[in-house]
Amino acid sequence: MFKWKRAAVAAAAAAALALTGCAGGSGDGGSGDSAGGGTLTWGVIAQPTTLAAEGANWANESPYIQAVYDTLLRATPEGEVEPGLATEWEYNEDKTVLTLTLRDDVTFTNGDTLTAADAAASLLAFKAGNSPNASNLINLADAKAVDDTTLELTLSAPDPAMLTFLTQNSGVVAPASSAGDEATATNPVGSGPYVYNAGETVAGSSYVFDKNPDYWNPDDQHYDKLVLQYYADPTSLLNAVQGGQVNVTNIIDTSSVDQMKSAGFTANEFALNWWGFMLSDREGKLAPPLAKVEVRQAINYALDKEALVKTVGNGYGTPTSQIFPTFSPSYDESLDDYYTYDLDKAKELMADAGYADGFEITMPRAAAIPEAHWTLYADQLAQIGITVNYQELQATEFIPSIIGGEFPMTWFTLQQDPTDYQLASFQISGASTWNVLHQTTPEVEAWIKTIQTGTEDEAAEAGQALNKYLVENAWFAPMYRPTSIFMSDANTQVETQVGNAVPYLWNVQPK
Amino acid sequence: MLRFILRRLLAGVILLFVVSSVAFLLLYLGAGDIARQILGVSATEEQVAQKTAQLGLDQPLIPRYFDWLTSAVTGDFGTSWFTSQPVVAAITSRLAVTLSLVIGTTILTAVVGTALGVWAARKRGAADRTVQIVSVLGFAIPGFLIAIFLVNVFALNLKWFKPTGFVQLGVSFPGWLSTVTLPIIALAIGAIAAIAAQIRGSVIDTMRQDWVRTLRSRGLSENRVLYKHVLRNAGGPALAVLAVQFVGLLGGAIIVEQIFAIPGLGPVATTSTAQGDVPLVMGLVVVTASIVVIVNIVIEILHGFLNPKARIS
Repeated sequence: MFKWKRAAVAAAAAAALALTGCAGGSGDGGSGDSAGGGTLTWGVIAQPTTLAAEGANWANESPYIQAVYDTLLRATPEGEVEPGLATEWEYNEDKTVLTLTLRDDVTFTNGDTLTAADAAASLLAFKAGNSPNASNLINLADAKAVDDTTLELTLSAPDPAMLTFLTQNSGVVAPASSAGDEATATNPVGSGPYVYNAGETVAGSSYVFDKNPDYWNPDDQHYDKLVLQYYADPTSLLNAVQGGQVNVTNIIDTSSVDQMKSAGFTANEFALNWWGFMLSDREGKLAPPLAKVEVRQAINYALDKEALVKTVGNGYGTPTSQIFPTFSPSYDESLDDYYTYDLDKAKELMADAGYADGFEITMPRAAAIPEAHWTLYADQLAQIGITVNYQELQATEFIPSIIGGEFPMTWFTLQQDPTDYQLASFQISGASTWNVLHQTTPEVEAWIKTIQTGTEDEAAEAGQALNKYLVENAWFAPMYRPTSIFMSDANTQVETQVGNAVPYLWNVQPK
Repeated sequence: MLRFILRRLLAGVILLFVVSSVAFLLLYLGAGDIARQILGVSATEEQVAQKTAQLGLDQPLIPRYFDWLTSAVTGDFGTSWFTSQPVVAAITSRLAVTLSLVIGTTILTAVVGTALGVWAARKRGAADRTVQIVSVLGFAIPGFLIAIFLVNVFALNLKWFKPTGFVQLGVSFPGWLSTVTLPIIALAIGAIAAIAAQIRGSVIDTMRQDWVRTLRSRGLSENRVLYKHVLRNAGGPALAVLAVQFVGLLGGAIIVEQIFAIPGLGPVATTSTAQGDVPLVMGLVVVTASIVVIVNIVIEILHGFLNPKARIS
């Protein structure tokens, strides 16, 4: 018995010694415990696809790009365009030539001085590159340097979103000498506030950036060091927050927000997407019942949006019937509750359309989305007699099959873009990728044309008419606007960014 | 010995060829629209078509495979489609991380598993029963549950360790230890249970052999009989189990690395397979199959060292 006790005590002592030894060293490798000022450790949920300017991604990858590059223009948290590398800009009368005046005091980390030729080369390389947003510059016919500080962009058609695009990855500027250099994918050359530290970076885990000592705008350098710490797993991200290893972070799902708040973090809320059904087959080519506007309206009335926010959205979301965001001039608050949950009305509309007994419809689903969500969606439709036959797809097939126009309707969540023209070009117009069956009407296309080419007032009026039309004709069946959340610790303040998954880098700073 | 190694290496090369062919075929059959996956939801159809052609995804299976194979034999595994990182660089940096976990776990497993197994076999009674019960529990509790428990207790509550992240061994040894200790313990518990049970059984069986009685009758001390003769005999089967555990740990590390946000092969294996990042997945397949081949050769040599009867001529 004595030996048992002795062995146990010895084991415990050895373990304690070993653990204490480890604890003593744990401070050496950590980087997220700073109270701000020194190091900002930012939890990111995406690795950089590339650090090359011409292939740059945005959204969750924007911190990587904003660390090493500058953009021609910048956006305020509300989405207003403001000076960046360009201090002034002006359109010609028909909005097909945009002239920008660039700063003359900017140097790249390779020692080159910024000129308009660098900016022109960057824009053309981006347009021809592999970025998922390369089509942002689809209306850019040419870019040329008039002189060292004057850049002239020629557009093939007016593009109301162009200035906004120049605040994002499409406006990133790299030295002309590095355009097309594959090495920049992992060793970028920019003029941004931070310089990529390849030596301290552990690919797939932490991406380290040091303050650029020659940066032209030191007011935007809030930290000496930036660490973008990648988390793929919600549990490890929560552990990192609870363990004080990050100062700010995006989240993978909302179920851990309360635990993060308990750890002293603040949830900075904003709306980024809309969530619901795309009723794509409005001409009834794949599913004839959807050609009836009454059926599409019935689907909208059958959605118990409050319950869906609670169950699917973990309580984080605002019910709505429109896809336009609150910050859009086309947004109409009264349209949020245009369709409220009303089964009697929904059934009446189904009967009026000749489908009192319902019908069957095929929708895609993927295992990446929780099974319970799919069940809830099917249950909502079953209330008015619509039987959903799900077609199981691999994660890699899910989006291509939808875009390929294989389904008459589908659940999805899409971004609410910063400008109406972006939103219309992305998910409404007949040519847009997410009008997956490319079904449209002349009036819709006319409103979009006015948004593109009209004056500000004309565009706003057309946008409002378009929004009302889409809701009344039930092009979509939105459930809610999910509340996006960006967490920050007690030492860090953030301003969330309209239309982007994370705040812009310079809007994260020590308190 | 040299002939044996060469023969095994040749078999290994054939195995690599077969495994890589099967993996390539499976990736080909299971692939969705990879170009769309890479370019995202906002890319146009033209961009997707251009990317598809650029990656050679519009080519038939056989030419694509031989393109990959001819590059791979020269050591060129290409570039990850999703992160632009060269495959060799992406794997070597992560392989070192995973191997430091797996080798650490194997050493801990061998030492603790052997000690527990010998102790149980020698003491029998309560000690033996305790080891057996603990072994069963070790088998029964999944590694990820142990990992979550360890993080909650030792990292989040007691704050003795970091809950996530990884410090490279070359940067700071204490830092490295603070990030790998919990993952290694989480990985090792199941493996220790297997080794302890194996050693216990083998030692008990060997102790009953006539030659052990003879050694004792010649006046050799019990310790000398046990550690010099019995354990050496009992070690063979345990070594085989350890080899299987080593290979299994490569798989087990996937989940544990996710929980601790450790940049090993695990996260990259799951992500790249789900995405259909063919160059990276193929690189991973070649590396893991090579590890299996090498470990098996090393174990057979070690087995021969422990047991002269099994020594390779």
